[in-house]
Amino acid sequence: MLIAKGMPMSAVVFAAPGNRRRVPATTVVLHTLLIVGGLAMVFPFIWMILTSLKTLPQLLSEPLSLLPDPLTGENYPEALSAMPFGRAYLNSVYIAGLIIAGTLVTASMAGYAFARIPFRGSKALFIGFLATQMIPKQVTLVPFYLLMSRLGWVDSHLALIVPAMLANPFAVFLMRQFVLSLPKELDEAATCDGAGPVRTFFAVVLPNLRPGLSALAIIVALDTWNNFLFPLVLLNSTELFTVPLLLAGFEGQHGGVNYGLVMAASAVSTVPVLILFVIAQKRILNSMATSGLGGR
Amino acid sequence: MSQSVTRSRTRIRTRGAVAVLAAGTLLLSACSGSGNSGGGSGDGSSTVTWSTWGSPEELERFEGFNEQFMADHEGITVELQPTAGYSDYHSKLLAQLTSGTAPDVFYVGDDRIGEFVDAGVLLPLSDLMDSDASQTPVDAFNPGVLGAGQTEDGEIYAVPNDVNPDALWYDTEALAAAGISEDPAELAANDEWTTETFLEMNDKLAEAGLIGSMYWNYYGTHWSWVSSQGGTAYDESGTFVGNTDATTVDAVQTFADYMQDGTFMVADTMPEGAGADSEFVTHGAGFFAQGRYTIGTLEEAGVAESYDIVRWPTPDGTAAPTTVAASYLVINADTPDPDAAFAFWTAYLSQEGQEFRLSEGGNAVPSIEGADEVVLADGYPEHAQTFLDMRDMGFANYAAESTVPGLSTDINEAMLNLYQGAGGTAQETLDQIAALAADG
Amino acid sequence: MTASIPAPTARPAAPRELRGEPTWRRRRRRWGLAFVGPQVLGMTIFVALPFAGSMLLAFADWNGLTELSWVGFDNFRDQLTSPKFGRSILNTLLIALITVPIGLGLAVTIAVALEKLKVRTLYLLLFFAPVVTSQVAVATIWQQLFRADGIVSGWIARVLPIDPPNWLGDPRLALIAVCIVTVWASLGLNVVIFLAGLQNVPPTVVEAARIDGAGPLALFWRIRLPLLSPIMFFSSVIAFISSLQTFDLVFILTDGGPQDATRTIVLHIYDVGFGRFQFGLASAASIILLGITLVITAAQFGVQKYFVHYEED
Repeated sequence: MLIAKGMPMSAVVFAAPGNRRRVPATTVVLHTLLIVGGLAMVFPFIWMILTSLKTLPQLLSEPLSLLPDPLTGENYPEALSAMPFGRAYLNSVYIAGLIIAGTLVTASMAGYAFARIPFRGSKALFIGFLATQMIPKQVTLVPFYLLMSRLGWVDSHLALIVPAMLANPFAVFLMRQFVLSLPKELDEAATCDGAGPVRTFFAVVLPNLRPGLSALAIIVALDTWNNFLFPLVLLNSTELFTVPLLLAGFEGQHGGVNYGLVMAASAVSTVPVLILFVIAQKRILNSMATSGLGGR
Repeated sequence: MSQSVTRSRTRIRTRGAVAVLAAGTLLLSACSGSGNSGGGSGDGSSTVTWSTWGSPEELERFEGFNEQFMADHEGITVELQPTAGYSDYHSKLLAQLTSGTAPDVFYVGDDRIGEFVDAGVLLPLSDLMDSDASQTPVDAFNPGVLGAGQTEDGEIYAVPNDVNPDALWYDTEALAAAGISEDPAELAANDEWTTETFLEMNDKLAEAGLIGSMYWNYYGTHWSWVSSQGGTAYDESGTFVGNTDATTVDAVQTFADYMQDGTFMVADTMPEGAGADSEFVTHGAGFFAQGRYTIGTLEEAGVAESYDIVRWPTPDGTAAPTTVAASYLVINADTPDPDAAFAFWTAYLSQEGQEFRLSEGGNAVPSIEGADEVVLADGYPEHAQTFLDMRDMGFANYAAESTVPGLSTDINEAMLNLYQGAGGTAQETLDQIAALAADG
Repeated sequence: MTASIPAPTARPAAPRELRGEPTWRRRRRRWGLAFVGPQVLGMTIFVALPFAGSMLLAFADWNGLTELSWVGFDNFRDQLTSPKFGRSILNTLLIALITVPIGLGLAVTIAVALEKLKVRTLYLLLFFAPVVTSQVAVATIWQQLFRADGIVSGWIARVLPIDPPNWLGDPRLALIAVCIVTVWASLGLNVVIFLAGLQNVPPTVVEAARIDGAGPLALFWRIRLPLLSPIMFFSSVIAFISSLQTFDLVFILTDGGPQDATRTIVLHIYDVGFGRFQFGLASAASIILLGITLVITAAQFGVQKYFVHYEED
C-alpha cells in the first residue's frame, strides 16, 4: 500500500532521478512567478496600509495617488481613541479563542468517527451535515434570532460562541477528509494493541492531524474574526461589541466615511490574525522539517 | 406577487406563527422570552432604551444628550444601543420587533418608515404631542416633512428627528473654469434660476471636460427633478401618474439624456472611497445634489470657501417644492412605560434637543420650528437660508413609496437603467414604474 | 438512535462472538456516536431548527412585522417564474463553473511550488494577505482597478485594439470582474489547506517510493496527488458550495448590478428578505438554492470514486 494503487512499475523504474545541480534555474523562474503573483495578492493590503497613512484631503484628491504625501500617523491614535477598541479586541480575541478550541476538539472527534468508526446511520448523518453547510446564514437569521431570544442569549456572547463551537459542518468535513488521508495502519495498529477509541484518537490520530488542525484553526479564526452580521444583530451593549462592529461604526448618519480612519483601524485589527497565521503555518510546515525530508 | 397571493389565504396571528417557529425552541428552554430589559419597575424609576446608527462623533453627541436628559429627568435611565452602519439597521430592528426585544424608542429611515407605520408596531403620537408633557406640539412641524409618518386619517406615528433638503451644491471654481460667470444663487434670488440656464451651465461644464452635475440614484433625485420641472409623480391619492403627464415625461427624458451623454452622473456608480466626493472637492464637477452634511466633507478637504448652494432650477425661474430627506424617531407600541419613552422622544425632538444635536458641525436641518439659528449661525454656506426655504416648501418621501417594501428599490433600478441607456425611453420607464406602483 | 443494536438474527441467544462482530468493535461503534454527539446536537439545535422555521416561512406571506398568512406553494411558483431569480441562478452557476476549477488549479500549483521551497513563510503571507485585508479596502481598490480609466483597462486598451473596458459598469464584463476577485480572495486559504494536505502525506510513504526509484514527477502524480485527493475533493465540494453562496464580494463590489448582471442567488435572497421584508419569498428561494446545491454536491460525491483515493477499508 505504500505506493499508491495502480502505480505501474515502469513509472518507478524509468522515472529520471532529480538532478539537484540544475535546480537553481527552475528555482529562479519559480521565485519570479511567485513574487509577481504574491505582489498581486498583497497589493490591496499594502494599499490599505498606505491609505491609513494619508490625510483626508489626500484621500479626496483625484486622481488618487498611491503614496501618502505627506505621511501621517495621526489616523491611528484618532481611530483607536474614537471607539473602545481595547474592549472590542479583548471580546474578539476571547470569543475567537473559545470557538477555535471548541471547534478543533468537537470537529476532529466527529471527523474521526465519520472517517474511521462506522456506526449505523453514520453515512446518512454525514450527508445531513453536508446539507446544513449549504444553507446560507442570511436565510435563517430571523428564526435564529428568535431561538437566541428564547434562550435568553440576546445581547450575550453565548449566542456567538456556543452555536459557532458546536455547529460547524465545514470543520467536521475538513477533519474527516484529513483523517481519511492518514494511513489506516496508524490507528488500526493502536486498536489492535488494545487501545480504545478514545486513547487511539488522542494518542495516535490527533498528533498526526496537526497540519490539518492548524489549517482549521486559521480558517475558524478568520471566520470568527470577520463575523459581522450575527454580532451586529445579536449584540446591543457597546461593551460587548466585537472589532468588525466598530470598523463598520465609522459610517456617519448620512453615509460619510473617513477612509483614513477606517483603514487605520482595519490595519490594526488584522494584526492578531496575522500573528496567529504565522504561528499556525509554522506548525503546518513543521511536520516536514522534522521528518528528515525537510531542508533538502 | 401579493396579487397572486390574496386568494385562499388563511390568517393567523403573527405571535401564533412565531410560536410555531419557536415550538422546538420552547421545549429546549424553560426560560422563555428574555423580553425587554427596560420598563417601569414600580418604584417610579424607568429605563428607556433607544437605537440609531452613526459615526463615533455623532454617537458621542447622542450620549451627551442622554446625560443631559437624565440630569433633567430624575428616575429615568436612558440607554443608547447603537447599530454599526445603516445597511443592516432595519434587519436588526425587524429581528428585535419579531421577538419582542426591540428598544423603546428608535430611528427609522425614510425609505422604510411607511412599512413600520403600516405594520402597527408604533405608538400613536398625536394626542401625546398635544398633551402637557409635550415640548413638541403637532403644529411646530411643517406637515410636508411628516410624510408617511402621518397616516391618511391624520394620526401621527413618526416625526423626523431632523431633515436634509437635497440642495444643489455648486463649485464656483469649476463653474469659472468652464467660463461661467453667473452665480446660480444670485439668479435664484432674482427668480431667474431657470432650467434653461442650468442646462446651459452643464453643457459648458461638459465642454470644459468636467462633470456637469452628480446625483444619488434615489427618490430625492427623480422626484425633485420632476417636481421642479412642474411635473407630478404621484397624485393626491398616492397613485403614480408620472407616466400620463406630458410635462413629467418630457422632464424625465431631458434628465435621462443628460445622464446618458455623461454630463450628469449617478454618484452611486462611481467607485467607493474615491467617487463623487473626490470629484467634487477636486473641482471636477459643477453641481452635486446633497444635504447639509456636505459641509463636513468640504471642510475636511479644506476647500469649503469656493462652494455654495442653490435650489433646483425651474422652467420659469421661481422656487418649486423639492424633496426633503429625513430619518424618523418613533416609539415602540410595546414599550412598558410609554410616558417615560415619550418624555425622551419629545425632549429629543424639541427645539433645545435639536439645537443640542445640530449645532457645531451639525449635519442636518432642524425639523421643528424655532431652531433655525443652528443652520445660519456659521454663515456657511453663504446661502444657508436656502436649506430652510427648501425645507419649508418641500415634501418628504411619498408614503406610497416607503410603504410598499422594495418599491423604491425597483423604481431606482428602473431609473438607473434609463439613466444608463439600458431601459428604453422615459415614457417606457415611467410606464414600468406605474405598473410597479400599481402592483404594490 | 440506537446504533449498537445488532441486525436481527435467527439465533438471538447465540454468544456474541458467533455473530461475527467482536465486542471491541461494538463498543467502538458506540464511541462513534459519542464522538459525533456534540456536533450533531449543535447542528440540530442551532442550524436545523432555525432552518425548519424558515422552511415553514416558505409557505407563508410574512413581512416580519404584521400578520402572517399561509399561501401554500405560491411563493415557490412566484420565485420559479421570477426573471430576477432565474437570472441570479444563471449568474451563480457561471461564477461557480468559472471560479472553482481555476481557483483550485492555481491553489494546487502554488501549494506544490511552495512545498518545494525552503523559504515559504514570506510567500504564504503574501498569498494569505487578501483574507486579512478589510472588505472596504478590497472593494475600494478593485473598484479603482476596474475603472474604465484605471490601470487594468488602460493596459488592455494598449495591447488590444478595443476601447478601454469599463469592467464594473458593463453588464457583459461585470461577472468576469467578480470572478477575478473571487479567485483572488479565496486563493490564500486553499493554498493553506493544500499545503496542510501535502504535509499530511506521511514522509515514510514518500521515502519508500523514492527508494524504489521514483522521480519527482512520479512522486507527485503517483504519491502526493492521490494522497492529496481527499483534501482536493473536500476543497472542490466546499468551493462549489461557497461559490453557490457568493454574497459578500458581490455585495461590496457591484451590489448585483449593473442591470442584475452580477445578482447571485444569496444576494437575491437577501434583497427579497431584508431589502423587501418578503420572508416567505426569500425562504422559498433559499429552499430552491438548497436543492440546487444538493444536486451538485451529490454529483460530486458520485464522481469522486473515480478520482479520489481513500485508504482502503
